[in-house]
Amino acid sequence: MGTEVSTSPTSLIDQTVVPGDVVLDLSNMTNQTIKLGSGLRQDNEVISVMRAGKLRYSKPNKYWVESSHKRYVPRPEDHVLGIVVDCKGENYWIDIKGPQLALLPVLAFEGANRRNYPKFEVSTLLYTRVVKTNTGMNPELSCVDESGKAAGFGPLKDGFMFETSTGLSRMLLSSPTCPVLEALGKKLSFETAFGLNGRCWVHAAAPRIVIIVANALMNSETLSGTQQRIMVEKLLEKISD
Amino acid sequence: MAAKPGAATPTYSPKIVGRSRLPIFKDSDLDWSRPDGRGFHQCRPALLQTGAVSSASGSAYAEFGNTKVIVSVFGPRESKKAMVYSDVGRLNCNVSYTNFASPTLGQGTDHKEYSSMLHKALEGVIMMETFPKTTVDVFALVLESGGSDLSVLISCASLALADAGIMMYDLITAVSVSCIGKSLMIDPVTEEEGCEDGSFMMTCMPSRYEITQLTITGEWTTPNINEAMQLCLDASSKLGEIMRDCLKQSASASDE
Repeated sequence: MGTEVSTSPTSLIDQTVVPGDVVLDLSNMTNQTIKLGSGLRQDNEVISVMRAGKLRYSKPNKYWVESSHKRYVPRPEDHVLGIVVDCKGENYWIDIKGPQLALLPVLAFEGANRRNYPKFEVSTLLYTRVVKTNTGMNPELSCVDESGKAAGFGPLKDGFMFETSTGLSRMLLSSPTCPVLEALGKKLSFETAFGLNGRCWVHAAAPRIVIIVANALMNSETLSGTQQRIMVEKLLEKISD
Repeated sequence: MAAKPGAATPTYSPKIVGRSRLPIFKDSDLDWSRPDGRGFHQCRPALLQTGAVSSASGSAYAEFGNTKVIVSVFGPRESKKAMVYSDVGRLNCNVSYTNFASPTLGQGTDHKEYSSMLHKALEGVIMMETFPKTTVDVFALVLESGGSDLSVLISCASLALADAGIMMYDLITAVSVSCIGKSLMIDPVTEEEGCEDGSFMMTCMPSRYEITQLTITGEWTTPNINEAMQLCLDASSKLGEIMRDCLKQSASASDE
């Protein structure tokens, strides 16, 4: 989506914006193209906000609104944790916490064919990739990457799954590694999978480690990096006593 | 202790509250003050808060004087199979009152149409095309009715929709004005609504300066309508700022 405006960041960047706020005024800007991400729209001569959140900018010319919600809007190439709801014909129906159930073709697995494909019971947890999100159609998922390899996608056995906001799951998936995960990883041995749809899966040898990690992750949403490290230290002190 | 056969069972009859007009004006318009001591053009103190209901996609709690409402937004979720396919989303609004919301027993008849009025006010601000085949449910509950219920409900619902991340053109603010005699009173309380000559409610988008709903009932002169509209627009912009601050506080709290 291209619009003729200058790419100089506005004073609202990294600030909280709400619906109706004007981010950029196009009337007095030089001829350059910008890209509008989610939460922004062109409204005649201005770029206005459609959703509450923080306005982000990345060089050279991208603007979008980053927000944390309980509901998830599917986007292509998002990695999500889905729960099998039903199997009809050649598709699994998967709940990904979106507006609609998603479709996962039975052939969308590594090495799957019409005679030999994985069979999952209802309520199985799967780590999948969103392939298509066409308007008016159910999203389509896949358990292989672009090259056709499993690459970590597939069923998640055992472990514990909990639901968080989309903002927390984005923070946990961010690079560099989130402070809470870094601090926990130095002392404890566990396995995690985070979906951009706000679902998290934790697996460890002992149930108490799973509980500690899950609680630490859930508590970290409203804490800064330093506060997260302090919280983890206190948690680990308690279990070592 | 059993009653004798044929004897009437003793019951408590509810107190009948008539809607007769109270003599609110004394000798002149000047020495009359409002029940809560406000000026004629002064709104009630407002308290707004998001995230009141943990199970909902978005929710908000609003307290304007004695009027207390809570609004929950669920969805977008898949429309029922029986519904016809739609390129745009559906909005479903439901307004209900608690049994203890007002001193009088049960609901008044005018509360029944609040659901459709809330729907009409909100449908102009929500970008329905962003969630095809799905439905957004807005459930509003009036905890205490202290006057201007609908305008508080609309403002609170707008805040809940923003909290749920529903795409909107702008926030919505609603303000009501009562006309009693020659005086216009903004944000009327129940006592004032009971004896008004006319009521005026305006719902608008403060940033875009657009009106999404205008409801006028009773006797109004053209100058009074113009004055009421100016009062509402002015109050809407101020209420819009309060709502923006509320959303920004909740967003920054979740990001820290």
